[in-house]
Amino acid sequence: MTRDLGIDFCGVHFVNPVMLSSSPVSNTGEMIGRAFDAGFGGVAYKTIGMGDVEIIHPSPRMASYDYEARKLVGLQNVEQISDRSLADNLADIRYLKKNWPDRIVIASIMGFSDHEWAELARACEDAGADMLECNFSCPHMTVEGSGMKVGQAFDLVAKFSETVKRAASIPVLAKMTPNVTDITEPALHAKAGGADGLAAINTVSALTEIGLDDFVPKPNVFGKGAMSGYSGPAVKPIGLRCIAQMAQHPDLGLPISGMGGIETWVDAVEYMLCGAGTLQITTGVIHYGYRIVEDIFDGMGHFMDQHGFETVEEFVGLALPRTVPTDEFDLARQGVASYDLDRCVGCGQCHIICHDAGGQCLAWDRDMRRPQMDEARCLGCMICSFICPVTGLIVYKEVPGKPAVLPPPSE
Amino acid sequence: MRDGYTMDLAMAEAARCLLCHEPPCSDGCPAATDPGRFIRQLRLRNLKGAAATIKRNNVLGASCGVLCPTRNLCQRACSATDIDRPIDIGGLQRFIIEQAREIGFQPLVAGDPTGRNVAVVGGGPSGLSCAASLAQAGCDVTVFEQRDRPGGIPQFVLPEHRMARDILDAEVQDVIDLGVAFVCGRAVTSREELEGLFDEGFDAVYLATGAWEPVRLDLPGGDADGIEDAIDFLVRSKADPAGTTARVEGREVAVIGGGDTAMDVAVSALNRGASDVYVLYRRSLQQMPGDEDEKLDALAAGVHFVILTAPVGYVVEDGRVAGVIVQRTRLGEPDASGRRSPVPIPGTEHVVPASLVVEAIGLRPPTAIRQLDVVSFDDGSRIVVAADSGATARTGVFAGGDAVRGPSLVVDAVADGKRAAAAIVAALDEEVAP
Repeated sequence: MTRDLGIDFCGVHFVNPVMLSSSPVSNTGEMIGRAFDAGFGGVAYKTIGMGDVEIIHPSPRMASYDYEARKLVGLQNVEQISDRSLADNLADIRYLKKNWPDRIVIASIMGFSDHEWAELARACEDAGADMLECNFSCPHMTVEGSGMKVGQAFDLVAKFSETVKRAASIPVLAKMTPNVTDITEPALHAKAGGADGLAAINTVSALTEIGLDDFVPKPNVFGKGAMSGYSGPAVKPIGLRCIAQMAQHPDLGLPISGMGGIETWVDAVEYMLCGAGTLQITTGVIHYGYRIVEDIFDGMGHFMDQHGFETVEEFVGLALPRTVPTDEFDLARQGVASYDLDRCVGCGQCHIICHDAGGQCLAWDRDMRRPQMDEARCLGCMICSFICPVTGLIVYKEVPGKPAVLPPPSE
Repeated sequence: MRDGYTMDLAMAEAARCLLCHEPPCSDGCPAATDPGRFIRQLRLRNLKGAAATIKRNNVLGASCGVLCPTRNLCQRACSATDIDRPIDIGGLQRFIIEQAREIGFQPLVAGDPTGRNVAVVGGGPSGLSCAASLAQAGCDVTVFEQRDRPGGIPQFVLPEHRMARDILDAEVQDVIDLGVAFVCGRAVTSREELEGLFDEGFDAVYLATGAWEPVRLDLPGGDADGIEDAIDFLVRSKADPAGTTARVEGREVAVIGGGDTAMDVAVSALNRGASDVYVLYRRSLQQMPGDEDEKLDALAAGVHFVILTAPVGYVVEDGRVAGVIVQRTRLGEPDASGRRSPVPIPGTEHVVPASLVVEAIGLRPPTAIRQLDVVSFDDGSRIVVAADSGATARTGVFAGGDAVRGPSLVVDAVADGKRAAAAIVAALDEEVAP
């Protein structure tokens, strides 16, 4: 794959749009260097603080959310910003820019005062960072009044954006929390403060599992748990929605670095279709390592070949005009679930769930072990297709002139 | 016997299950163990519920998980077969029971006492199953076992490589924990002894005496030293591994027969140090009645399969066997069993050298059982019962398992025990009804 996946973002050229996000996967220069060697186009460096307040990560700091036999559908974490010294982090930024000059280093920063924000911005720019990312969004900071607490106090978003913008000459991203009613509100405040772009989503504040013997949420930090950051494939739908909301907002118009559950090229392309110009990954790396980027590039290239795109920029935001309020739907058009019973294996799950959750339109032929469809009663809800083990056996079929199905009164 | 599943592997296997409507697996189990239900329960993280389903339906659930030829039973109509392959129902069934045991969960509870006393004659799978069902229905149950402990064929005959002892022992303990009394070393061998049980105060009797008598070939030289029957070989091999090794080590062993028992003997003989083991079978591989996996395991273990070869006599030197005289066969028309019959080819006699020969031709109920002549028998000394209840000709006496069927699957024996227990409870209830 030699295709050029380069893109300009906030005036900075990325050799490709895929970055490590600010997290455990971007903790040191040595780690990030290996990610660059694997192909990542940039990094949002693990959030740097002044180091005046001692940062100690809770132990243990993460928990996996598994679904049946599938590991790490989601990841819960209470890790803090970098626990390393400012000097060490700045040295690592210098190391990265010296050895991988074509890769973009975005310094994620978090101050605990207005003054600290300014100082961190200057220090990181001086160390060679190409951009800054203000962490307004970590949902589980042990330092009071920081992280998500800032992101939820919109005037502080504006204020600190402005401070950082004034202190530095390089582009500034504001990293947004999804843990607000409407993510475009703090985004507008970031813009008002002068931010050049947005990054989202930070982790979703969550409780994934509770210990059934000790009643402690996980990760169990010696008898205590906390509402804290949830990430991974389970949050991708929330991330896509937030990106699209910001990208569609008529008054925002800022470049967006998208993240939240990206593992495959499909996820990556979806984020770009919703308006992300660059992408960031953590949980995917925690699951598979830096090597996943190879398949993201490969898949993205084949996607571009298929659609005739020359640059990645061409497909950024293509889903936005097709994402509408529900009142714009054409409700006159209805359809049914259409079955290719030659491929049916006879499990009957469609019958069960249609009966209990759909339109009760599937009878069950006990001898043949096959469903029998009454199309006149089919809601076209398609839940049968969601659980059918044979992908593509049940497809949606529009039925011109079919009225919406109304269940009769119960007898 | 394979290693059991871990929780991770079991959940991955359960995740493949299609959770069928009217699950065909549940229809396929003779004992109605209900895999469609217990796999769904495991899938929905209801391990205890899954264990309760299995054990209440089939007190030998873990043993059946190991021993059942599942591909011919529950897995036969598995809907996942058309996706890729059937769910490993036996493996999951065993895992659920072992895991429940691991966490100390006992799903079986004795029923409220009804004051009814039932005697079970024979502590094999069918007797254990009947006893467990009766105890759960509130009966006082006493099992009379001829040998020194219960367990029957799986306990005394099946080699360790087929069935780990701890799995069966734990399931026997489950029956003991239900309050069932075991009287070991006592057989019921005559009409008087059987009737005497009623005099002792038992309200009903379940006969589960099994089919332990070997069918022997009647070949010239068959009484020489070094020729024995499969049951004898397997019982001694299990009870006295060192002694068996001393008898078998370094020898060429011939096993006559093609069923599961022949495979058990052949692999056991290899495990006990035989230099070569020949399975002599008069039809071809396809007609062998044994379980496919057992055949393949025997092949993999290094057993020599000598097919289309019929024994016709023994070479005896100084009173001890030195070989089996055999004749080549070809396959002719199907016989009564539906399998193509072996037709001897004249002039092909030759000798397969062997200093130990084990005849694994078949088993049947002992002819001595006919002394219990208040019940009726067929020509094969099998007790005749009503199919739906296991009731015999003698009121209050029921029967099941191999004593009725001849050599059969453990799961069939379990099913018979359950069915008879239900019939016994119904019959006793009817007695007290005004």
